[in-house]
Amino acid sequence: MRFLNKGSILLIVILVFSFTTLIMGAEEEVNLYTNRHYDTDKLLLDKFEEKTNIKVNVLKGGSDELIEKIDREGEDTSADLLITADAGRLHRAKNKGLLQQIENDTLFNNVPENLRDTENYWFGLTVRGRVIVYSKDRVDPSELSTYGDLTDDKWENRILVRSSSNIYNQSLLASFIEIHGEEWATEWAAGVVDNMARKPQGNDRAQATAIASGVGDIAIMNTYYLGKMLNSSNPEEVKVAKQLEIFFPSQETTGTHINVSGIGLTKHAKNKENAIKLMEYLSSVEAQEMFAKANYEYPVNPNVEPSNLLSSWGEFKPQSINLSKLGEYNKKAYMIFNRVGWK
Amino acid sequence: MFKKIGFTNKWSVISFFLIILILMPSVFILIGFFNPISDTWLHIRRYLLKDYIYNSVILVFFTGLFSIIIGVSLAWFVNAYDFKYSNFFKWGLILPLAVPPYIGSYTYVGLLNYTGVIQTFLRNNFELVLNQSYFNIMSLSGAIFIYTIFLYPYVFLITHAFLQKQSASLVEVSKTLGKSPISIFFRIILPISRGAYVAGTTLVVLEVLNDYGVVKYFGISTFSTSIFQTWFSLGDINSAIRLSVYLMAFVIIVLFLEKLSRGGKQYSYSNTKIKPLKAKKLTGWKNWSMFIYAFTVISLGFIIPVLQLIYWSIISYGKILNMNIIQTVLNSIGVSLVGSFIILVAAVIIANTVRIKKNILTKNYARIAVLGYSIPGAVIAVGVMIFFLKMDNFIQLISGQNNMLLLSSSIFMLIFAYLIRFLAIGYNSVESGFNKIGTDFHEASRTLGNGITKTFFKVDLPMMKPALMSGFLLVSIEILKELPLTLILRPFNFNTLATRAFEYANDEMIHESAILSLILIFISVILVYSLTYIKKKGR
Repeated sequence: MRFLNKGSILLIVILVFSFTTLIMGAEEEVNLYTNRHYDTDKLLLDKFEEKTNIKVNVLKGGSDELIEKIDREGEDTSADLLITADAGRLHRAKNKGLLQQIENDTLFNNVPENLRDTENYWFGLTVRGRVIVYSKDRVDPSELSTYGDLTDDKWENRILVRSSSNIYNQSLLASFIEIHGEEWATEWAAGVVDNMARKPQGNDRAQATAIASGVGDIAIMNTYYLGKMLNSSNPEEVKVAKQLEIFFPSQETTGTHINVSGIGLTKHAKNKENAIKLMEYLSSVEAQEMFAKANYEYPVNPNVEPSNLLSSWGEFKPQSINLSKLGEYNKKAYMIFNRVGWK
Repeated sequence: MFKKIGFTNKWSVISFFLIILILMPSVFILIGFFNPISDTWLHIRRYLLKDYIYNSVILVFFTGLFSIIIGVSLAWFVNAYDFKYSNFFKWGLILPLAVPPYIGSYTYVGLLNYTGVIQTFLRNNFELVLNQSYFNIMSLSGAIFIYTIFLYPYVFLITHAFLQKQSASLVEVSKTLGKSPISIFFRIILPISRGAYVAGTTLVVLEVLNDYGVVKYFGISTFSTSIFQTWFSLGDINSAIRLSVYLMAFVIIVLFLEKLSRGGKQYSYSNTKIKPLKAKKLTGWKNWSMFIYAFTVISLGFIIPVLQLIYWSIISYGKILNMNIIQTVLNSIGVSLVGSFIILVAAVIIANTVRIKKNILTKNYARIAVLGYSIPGAVIAVGVMIFFLKMDNFIQLISGQNNMLLLSSSIFMLIFAYLIRFLAIGYNSVESGFNKIGTDFHEASRTLGNGITKTFFKVDLPMMKPALMSGFLLVSIEILKELPLTLILRPFNFNTLATRAFEYANDEMIHESAILSLILIFISVILVYSLTYIKKKGR
């Protein structure tokens, strides 16, 4: 029976290969589902492992996919913690009953109230603004004022922004639904579509580049992309970024739209204590510097100064709404975009 | 009763269970189709569906058309003519297959945009700033370009292999009858190679319909992006399933129309006497124009993107921290080897059963085996996830151990998803291998009293080796490049070259993703080269 021998040897090889990924031992560990993939995050987690002897297992993926996965896994989920780059997504996880409340003084001290869930289901870790970036040559900052002003005729054919399938645009519009109501938000979206310099395409960086190349004059984008471009390994991209300036809209009125990347403890976490330790660590002064700087974001911990670059952009007044609302109105926002033809 | 449906030997029993296993996730998915229509679905139908259909049809039609034009013409040229470096082009023209389209799209955008090499060069040396729309590739036509230039090798590969073996005698007869080369191409080559390039184009079309990376990056809504959008952004899995059922119907219509258009007149032509075509030596401008045509195609599909990636790797080299590249490479290679092996074994078992036992049941095996290739990756992912979680619940029930996800947290889940997704490719290779060796030797061995299994290992397998190897390599390349399934179904701490390259690029860190993309392309090139080497030897 040569067949059996050959076949079984191969089978054993395959089984061994497969199970090596299964066997991770019974040591202290914590399982993290995250959609951040910065190299510095790994360094930070290594540091945590060193300090506490708790092994951090990481599964990276899109936030929606990870939430779906936790949901499907139900009570047996292997996830202890979920990190996503958008408050709306954390809210969705909470709504689906995937997260649990935490009463923890360290976290309360490290994360200001407006940057965490009203019922403490999730906590912000880093903050970014969705701002207007403009051409230093062609735009006088005195022309700029509020988000609402973007629908004015003077911006016809001058606005650059990415597609509505992007979560950052959805959250921006959701914040307007909360502040101004659905009707205003619909008119705003339609007005911006009328003023677009081109059909939405590309990512946030592509919008900034399009200003430099003269396709449009102003772009709606997240703060950290400008930081990334200023530190790009392509000297041409640095040149482009230097032609641009950041404007924080709606300072006199409702404030600039902000969003967080944040963390939540799953409802069925198996390593709850270790997970909370990691949450405390990530919000601590020591970790916050690196965690926020990795992506040119603002730290949530009030005791940590933002990086020099971010400080040079100046302080700004953020929207005062609770970030949970971004999740609540996400679907509405998405549907408005479709109705007004924001591709 | 078991005898009645063909359970007469080990092979048909195993095949039957394999087929059931492969069908399970689709069943879980299709149940969702019968759920009531939601508001979201009405919204999609009113505002979005038209766009999805329009974009998908345009992409599929033009990518298919251009792939046929490029693939068939080049396959004919390298076979019929001897021009500058034509021997290199015989395998070199397959190289674009080593570049995943999503990596190709990031690379081309980076190359052509304002901060890219071309515009920077013009600007800094000649102070030339051109209209940006000339450089804008992020459009429907740009996507057609990307898909065509990286996927035409499917058409080229299959048509080339066919012409190499089958065209010689017909072409020689036509020549003696005084036909011109152009008339030979249109009246002989095109009709007889129809089966080959249709098979290749079908692969191209299915790849396009399934692709997620390129269209997402370019902001084009197609069925595949909309399935992800509806499932994740709108949180409406039932509408997502509805969309995928539409997509599958679309695929079936395309395949059906193709069959219909052939009607009764099938120019299938094959000859067991393999006689290579004698290539005509070209000189002068003809020689050069052939060379330039082939070189342009290979430059666009391989040389230019690779050079760009090399440049990015160099400028970003110092910035990449903590890459753990070796582990990532090993993961990529390991998962594609194991995955391909399992897929090939399954393909052999099913194809052998179909060959030996011809009944109503086995007739449908072949169809089910290739079904997965037409199901969108996202849908396979959900189906497999639901199926594995159900199995885990069952294991918990028997073992009495709660809170443990044995199967769904393991790499088996991912490999099983690969099996469903890529069985079609393995199966087609195995089937063509079985067709080639025929059943004479098999029956002779059976008459001598050997069983099916013994006959398979002693008689069939040795003759099948080239077909199995090329199937194995094709599947390996696919798994190496695969993205949505790997992203969603992988276990903890498991990264592959494709997922890491995608993560960097998705975070708009294209330079950082370059080095991983390069390694991935390099491994695929080795596989592509081995593929042609086997084909040569197999001849």
